[in-house]
Amino acid sequence: MTSSAPKSPPGHFSLLYFASASSFTGKDYESLSAPISIGKLFSELESRYPGMQAKILDSCLVTVNLDYVDIPTEGEEGLVIQEGDEVAIIPPVSSG
Amino acid sequence: MDKIEHLRKEIAQREAELADLRARLAAEEELRCTAGETQNGEEWKWPLDEHDYQRYSRQMIVPNFGLQGQLHVKQAKVLLVGAGGLGCPAAAYLAGAGVGTLGLVDGDAVEVSNLHRQVAHSTGRVGMMKVDSAVAYLKGLNPTITYNAHATHLTPLNAEEIVSQYDLVLDCTDHPTSRYLISDICVLLSKPLISASAFQTSGQLIVLNNPPGKGPCYRCVFPKPPPPESVVGCGEGGIIGPVVGTMGVLQALEAIKLIVRGDHLKWSETNGQGEEVKQVGLLLFSAMGDVPFRTVRMRGKKKGCFACSGDGTALTLNELKTSMDYVQFCGVNQPVKLLQPEERISVAEYERISQQHKNHLLLDVREKEHFGVCNIKGSINVPISRFTAHRGQGSDLSDLIPGDVAPDAPIYIVCRVGNDSQIAAKKLKDLGVDRNGERFVGDIFGGLKAWKETIDPSLPFI
Repeated sequence: MTSSAPKSPPGHFSLLYFASASSFTGKDYESLSAPISIGKLFSELESRYPGMQAKILDSCLVTVNLDYVDIPTEGEEGLVIQEGDEVAIIPPVSSG
Repeated sequence: MDKIEHLRKEIAQREAELADLRARLAAEEELRCTAGETQNGEEWKWPLDEHDYQRYSRQMIVPNFGLQGQLHVKQAKVLLVGAGGLGCPAAAYLAGAGVGTLGLVDGDAVEVSNLHRQVAHSTGRVGMMKVDSAVAYLKGLNPTITYNAHATHLTPLNAEEIVSQYDLVLDCTDHPTSRYLISDICVLLSKPLISASAFQTSGQLIVLNNPPGKGPCYRCVFPKPPPPESVVGCGEGGIIGPVVGTMGVLQALEAIKLIVRGDHLKWSETNGQGEEVKQVGLLLFSAMGDVPFRTVRMRGKKKGCFACSGDGTALTLNELKTSMDYVQFCGVNQPVKLLQPEERISVAEYERISQQHKNHLLLDVREKEHFGVCNIKGSINVPISRFTAHRGQGSDLSDLIPGDVAPDAPIYIVCRVGNDSQIAAKKLKDLGVDRNGERFVGDIFGGLKAWKETIDPSLPFI
């Protein structure tokens, strides 16, 4: 997995996929349009990668610019991701 | 075969005894001149034993480590849960550093497939309990410290008895069930926890419950376990030795930092009062990445955490022992049941079909690395991820079904053990490939594993 994404183009933010998020999407990173709330981002990811909500997003942690952020409960929007932000989807790695 | 097995066991046994004797000899030799008196009869007046100054000199002269640091290390009792890819390197460095008491918990025996990464074991000790094999190795490395081998898996029933004997715990296990159990017992017994994990080319490391009662626990970081079908172990998904080795070495480093600072002592002296919580970071290791290491900043404890919230609703020791079912909490991986019996054929049946040379298609949906190791003659590799990522009806199917096959030719799907093959067959049917039953689309029951057991025992199945 390549954890350094190229700078996102204007109007976008970069999204990094770690561990099983990377294998599920088949990508290490991608750029998506900003601004967008965490809640909307999750719906967007579920429609791009059907099944991702249950398989990855429900049990992952999310950081924005290397800081942990709360995942909004159902019906809430949560923090709004801004242009140029770096967001990471970090599922737990359990094996060893 | 039995004779070979028997000889192997006998040799392993003798080698372990020899290793133990050598370790005892080395310890006796080292201790001979420092048993309370020096050679010229004077009483030994320095805080560490004479042999300690030789053995640990290189780390004691590092800035801020010093004599005090070594004394802390010597007094520390550290428990490693898991004597595998993480536990072996972690234990080696902690034993080398002179941790006074090292405990190892593991209920598994050494297998040949462990040896590429589990550096404390050896070919001669295959079949031996991992804890005994590791202790044999560690005694050769440092015979002057105390080792406790707990040849069992950690369970809700034995966790309190084992963990309470130590100051600090390293989670070197390989499954969500043990990760939640270890975190819970560390919270309940006020032990700091250094948790690491590794898979394929990735790793994670975090220091939890430090200081006890103040720092976040594993549940604060990952409140919900991943769905069981997405939990793939190193046996199936693979692991690069130095990746898990790196994480184990980093665990040992975090343990030494914590012990030298005396964090584990401060807590018992002050009962946690006035101790400040340091910024907790989760270290992510991506071995193949341009930025191999990055640290994300975690929040502190999660409000209302099931284990560590400290209010009346939090987990108690008694509840952990009597009513916690970690297997159920993490979910049991049910065998896939997507296809009806008439949609599945046996390996023997497929062998007959292949010998009749009738036009058909055999798709192997394992990942390409598995396919590259061994496959059934004539099969075509289309990894399962291509099926799950497929966008659905109306879109092009050529990435799932290679072009030059008659539209009525039956399609058989095979995978490792017969789960993914059902998912792939179901997907093709949902996409209308079976044309309402006109064309057979189904899977081979039991997968390559059954093929090896029934048809071709030479298959180097992984």
